[in-house]
Amino acid sequence: MLISYNWLKSYIKDVPEVDKLSDVITFHLCELESVEKLQNGDAIFDLKILPDRAHDLLSHRGVAYEIAGLLCLKVFENPINEINSSKTNLQIEIQTPSCKRYMGRIVRNIKVGPSPKWMVEYLESLGQRSINNIVDATNIILFGIGQPIHAFDLKKLEGEKIVVQNAKEGDELELVGSEKIKAKLKESDMMITDGVKSLAIAGVKGGLDSGINNDTKDILIEVANFDAISVRKTARRLSIQTDASKRYENVLSPILCELAMKEISNLILELCPESSFEEVVDIYKDVQNTKKVSFTGSYISKSLGINIPKEEIEKILKNYNYEFTVDDDSWEITVPSMRIDITRACDMVEEIGRVYGYDKITPKLPVVNSDIKDSNTWTKICLVKQKLIDDGYKEVMNYALTQKGDLQILSSASDKGYLVTTLSDGLKKSYELNKNNLALLEGSEVKIFEVGTVFLKSGEEIHVACGDKKGIIEVKLEDFNLDQKNYILNAETGNFKINGSGVNLVFKSWSLYPFITRDISVWVPEGTEPDALFNIYKELGTDLLVKNPMLVDKFQKGDKISYAYRLVFQSYEKTLKDEEINPIMEKINTKISSLGWEVR
Amino acid sequence: MSEYKKGSLHPLTLIMNEAVSIFKTLGFVVEIGPELEDEWHNFDALNVPHDHPARDMQDTFFIKDQTGFVLRTHTSNTQIRFMEKLVKSGGKPPFAIVVPGKVFRNESTDATHEMQFYQIEGLMIGEDISVADMKGVLLEFFKKFFDGESVDIRLRPSFFPFVEPGFEIDLRIGEKWIELLGAGMVHPNVLKNCGIDNEKYQGFAFGIGLDRLMMMKFKISDVRFSYQGDLRINQF
Repeated sequence: MLISYNWLKSYIKDVPEVDKLSDVITFHLCELESVEKLQNGDAIFDLKILPDRAHDLLSHRGVAYEIAGLLCLKVFENPINEINSSKTNLQIEIQTPSCKRYMGRIVRNIKVGPSPKWMVEYLESLGQRSINNIVDATNIILFGIGQPIHAFDLKKLEGEKIVVQNAKEGDELELVGSEKIKAKLKESDMMITDGVKSLAIAGVKGGLDSGINNDTKDILIEVANFDAISVRKTARRLSIQTDASKRYENVLSPILCELAMKEISNLILELCPESSFEEVVDIYKDVQNTKKVSFTGSYISKSLGINIPKEEIEKILKNYNYEFTVDDDSWEITVPSMRIDITRACDMVEEIGRVYGYDKITPKLPVVNSDIKDSNTWTKICLVKQKLIDDGYKEVMNYALTQKGDLQILSSASDKGYLVTTLSDGLKKSYELNKNNLALLEGSEVKIFEVGTVFLKSGEEIHVACGDKKGIIEVKLEDFNLDQKNYILNAETGNFKINGSGVNLVFKSWSLYPFITRDISVWVPEGTEPDALFNIYKELGTDLLVKNPMLVDKFQKGDKISYAYRLVFQSYEKTLKDEEINPIMEKINTKISSLGWEVR
Repeated sequence: MSEYKKGSLHPLTLIMNEAVSIFKTLGFVVEIGPELEDEWHNFDALNVPHDHPARDMQDTFFIKDQTGFVLRTHTSNTQIRFMEKLVKSGGKPPFAIVVPGKVFRNESTDATHEMQFYQIEGLMIGEDISVADMKGVLLEFFKKFFDGESVDIRLRPSFFPFVEPGFEIDLRIGEKWIELLGAGMVHPNVLKNCGIDNEKYQGFAFGIGLDRLMMMKFKISDVRFSYQGDLRINQF
């Protein structure tokens, strides 16, 4: 949710400066994804509002009340004037339980035109495009207090009547917006109609035909509350997420409609002083009840692991303007209508805890006495891996997704749409890859293994697969034969600790270019350590030498010994050519000759 | 030459084993659970209702022709399986388990995101296990894991349906704070769904990304090196 600092300031005069506010939000409210300072002096906060607070914090007013509660500040509401209104013939009929409330009001003689500068600035600061004064006014209320509002061109309605009902299967509606989407409707979609034709998909998007245009004179304002699941299902099926649908699918309080109707009426009157208003028609059957939640101070303290004094709880509740009663350690609060997330005592642990400050909680180490044992499967996996590395095998990991198998994934983000039925296929590819890279690896042959899950029609199984030059063997974990005498995981062997720390543990990324190998055999007098050769290769090999020279052969003839080393050259920047390696080898040869040794 | 060469473990296994070892010294035992999971254990029992925006917090792999099954999006499924099993066998808290394992997210990959990755889940339940205990356990874990470095943790308010209150936890190594894991006090609904008396017992849960720890510990820049079957990653 993008929040404009200037807009927030219209609610809280003495809101703290940007940096301080950022910290308050981060450590007491929610994640702050970014803060962008604009050239006009405004700053835009991007708050990551998660579903628990999407009922009340997807608006500037909601965030203002939260900040005010956190910092004990005062919120200034927009001034609301009573509006003179005349009798209305508007009829509203709700034929679906998914519409919790519908407030409608006819406004005549409006003048559609550009919005005033402040509205354009507010909207643009949130990345919204200004359309016209009427549409912009509905958006100002949406981002201001969080209530979606829709305006219809009254002339396009059959009569002065609104019916909220389910769509007819297969009906189509062309939607407002530049994408020119024609939505194909299902019976489960909730529609706003005039009793004859569809005007809008309730809570999602309005129809093109009944939208506001420059010739619009009379409008119908809709301020309604729609069921979260119904809106969510329709919006998801049509892949249309709007600022309205996002708020509805997170559940809004129907009580908010009243304030929204007052604010939009005031704003339209301000924009179009010549306009005349009819009475509001309000159909509100499924009334939101007032909730009470009880908790004890000792429960809060026990959950947080820190004693929160009674005065602190009282201070927090007062700053947030909660209505409450307290009897000794027992508190009962009246939940504000917008705080649909607060349903039980544990919710108050968060409300009290985050304001009080999680940093005040002192860490302590608990002692848990239980006779539960480690999973046998886990222990076996550890032992199997231990045995395999003792036998010289190296562990690899491959993807669980592949091109074919028993179980298919629905709409995978990857090009691989099936789950593996065997580890062997992956291991085979892995064997080839590593065999080609053998010169780059430690050891003289490839011996690899993988322990992992495979997915069969009958369910999942954990398998162990090993591969070497003889081929690949794959067995179920439970069938893997361990020498039980040698492989028992006890407290000592089960204590795994990575050797080294910090600077010793730096991964060396590999080059994507091919490598070149050169074998070099040299006769040296008996008694000469092979390290003498090793050091020459290291020193003269340049940084193209990507691994330590490896001794691959050794034999003695009379008083001479031949040592054969393999040198591997590779560049991180390009494919090496022989011409680049030859001078290096020449230097090495020269050096060896100068010592009186003989290159074979 | 046929000299004897000892094999090697994948760096993720090294990380997983060390993490498990440290948690064992802190009183946890190891539990593991299935990767192909039903929606009850992956979502519903964890207080993530159907048709709720909370389900969108994780991109899920669904299985064709197997309605109600998913690739687990977190190791939290094993919390539920463990507690159900415990209650069924007549057991009760206190207990503390860690669950290492592979999890899946249906999202496009880049240097820091993979469709499959490893998590270690922690769950500790008792009569008075609190946020203070959670802070203590995690701080101790990171001190041991990043042995020799100056570390600290801090809590920020967040939301996961299966905990209340919920936290994002940042880790400081040296001077820098890094957002590292999600945690919280187990939601009473979750305990109730497993048949545990939520008036009497409480506790915390957390989930740490092991691939992330591997990248931090070994300074590996791209998470995708992990699952290529390439031995060049076995450097430690």
